[in-house]
Amino acid sequence: MFTAMSNLFQVPWNDYVGNIAEGLARTLGYTIASFIGASILGLLIALMRLNRSTLVRVPAAFYTELFKNVPLLAIIFLTYFGLPSVGIRLQVFEAGVLSLVLFYAAYLSEIFRAAISGVHRGQQEASQALGLGRGKTFTHVVLPQAVRLALPGTNTMFVDLIKSTSLLVTISAAELMTNAQLIASETFRSLEVYLVISAVYFAICYPLSQSLLLLERKIQAGVPLSFTRRRRLRLAATFLAEGRG
Amino acid sequence: MMPEKIHIVTNPTQTAARPAIRISGLRKSFDGRVVLDGVDLDVPTGKIVSIIGQSGGGKTTLMRCVNLLEQPEHGTIAIGDEEIFNQGKVVCRDLARLRQRVGMVFQRFNLFPHLTAVENVVLAQMHAASISESEAVKRAVQLLTRVGLAKRAMAYPEQMSGGEQQRVAIARALALGPTILLFDEPTSALDPESTGEVLRVMRELATDGMTMIIVTHELPFAKEVSDWVVFIDSGKIVEQGTAVDVLERPKEPRTAAYAARYASLA
Repeated sequence: MFTAMSNLFQVPWNDYVGNIAEGLARTLGYTIASFIGASILGLLIALMRLNRSTLVRVPAAFYTELFKNVPLLAIIFLTYFGLPSVGIRLQVFEAGVLSLVLFYAAYLSEIFRAAISGVHRGQQEASQALGLGRGKTFTHVVLPQAVRLALPGTNTMFVDLIKSTSLLVTISAAELMTNAQLIASETFRSLEVYLVISAVYFAICYPLSQSLLLLERKIQAGVPLSFTRRRRLRLAATFLAEGRG
Repeated sequence: MMPEKIHIVTNPTQTAARPAIRISGLRKSFDGRVVLDGVDLDVPTGKIVSIIGQSGGGKTTLMRCVNLLEQPEHGTIAIGDEEIFNQGKVVCRDLARLRQRVGMVFQRFNLFPHLTAVENVVLAQMHAASISESEAVKRAVQLLTRVGLAKRAMAYPEQMSGGEQQRVAIARALALGPTILLFDEPTSALDPESTGEVLRVMRELATDGMTMIIVTHELPFAKEVSDWVVFIDSGKIVEQGTAVDVLERPKEPRTAAYAARYASLA
């Protein structure tokens, strides 16, 4: 058994710590940049799909359906290998982030759309009846409630996005998977290398998804997370104490 | 420190002679179905008008036109001196200010579920009326104390009973210092005990001289607090008068039938 284990692990990992660290940093870079981009675009598409005008709604619906039904790998190849033939040459990072943004915005827009329309109509009326305009009603009443509804789906997509960055190995994006491929080609020990790399992905994704779950539960339970809300509630507690005293 | 008494009610520039709300020739339809068909109604300052009638008769729509949550097709609406709607057009320049003057309480409370009771009362003060945070929170605590909910200030809506939620909703509506309050069947979603709590708060507001329009099926309460009762059916005012006249000595058979039906339910 132990000989089997020692046979399995023969790669001089100390020599590759730098590669793994660099790959990890790239993977996180791709993830964060893509997630921010996909969230913004996704929210925009969701709002377009909730618009009253058909002219706004149809292109957004078209976008969602298009990118939901094309493989991510095809989008990566199109942006990196395809676009140069029409004169658009993107850096690896740009092409990688653009692909992930385009793809994940489609999914996030569906999650956001469901969340926004899941906020009860009476909420907007109550807000308007209090004199808040459309913008403030959205930011102070609809959005905070929509975020709560969107959190579970968004968290799943975030972790999925981390794993999907590994597809960028196909355009040599220098992220974790690309480095794994490099190490494997140098050591000829594919089983060991990919086991270790899988463990690295797991070591990032599992704690992250668990923390996001915890955050989700806290937010659902109404724990005030923002500094502003905490200050406001402390202030209220002070006035309440004065009232009783 | 005792919370100082909050004066929310009378606006000294308004005289009793001038109606707080003046509605004339109001028409409104939804998808070709007429829900308001030439309604005229004056609500004098400091008076309480109850609107009664069958569901779907146009009561709620009429009330929702007063703060322009619903936009009529014809007619005019004036709040105090200011015309807000005239012949198919909103002429109110400042919708936010109108809604600060006209508060509204909903049948289903519509509290903001992501915020505590006190934050529900704070929100509009800060974001619609630009009141400072400390002032807004102080006022929210005073208003919650006033509706008997100081202890529940830190609770979320889902942790409160229906009656408590509706009282928070009343505090929230009072926060911007309105001169007029609109109540849309405020006790229809409540059990009898909660109904009692809410009616007690409304009775206090009535005593303080708030101008109120109440859409309700609570005929005994309407009779007790109302200066004027309006019976609406099929988008028209069928009968109006003092509470005693309309509810005890109705002239119209439709009013009599309605009053008899709801009296037997009470």
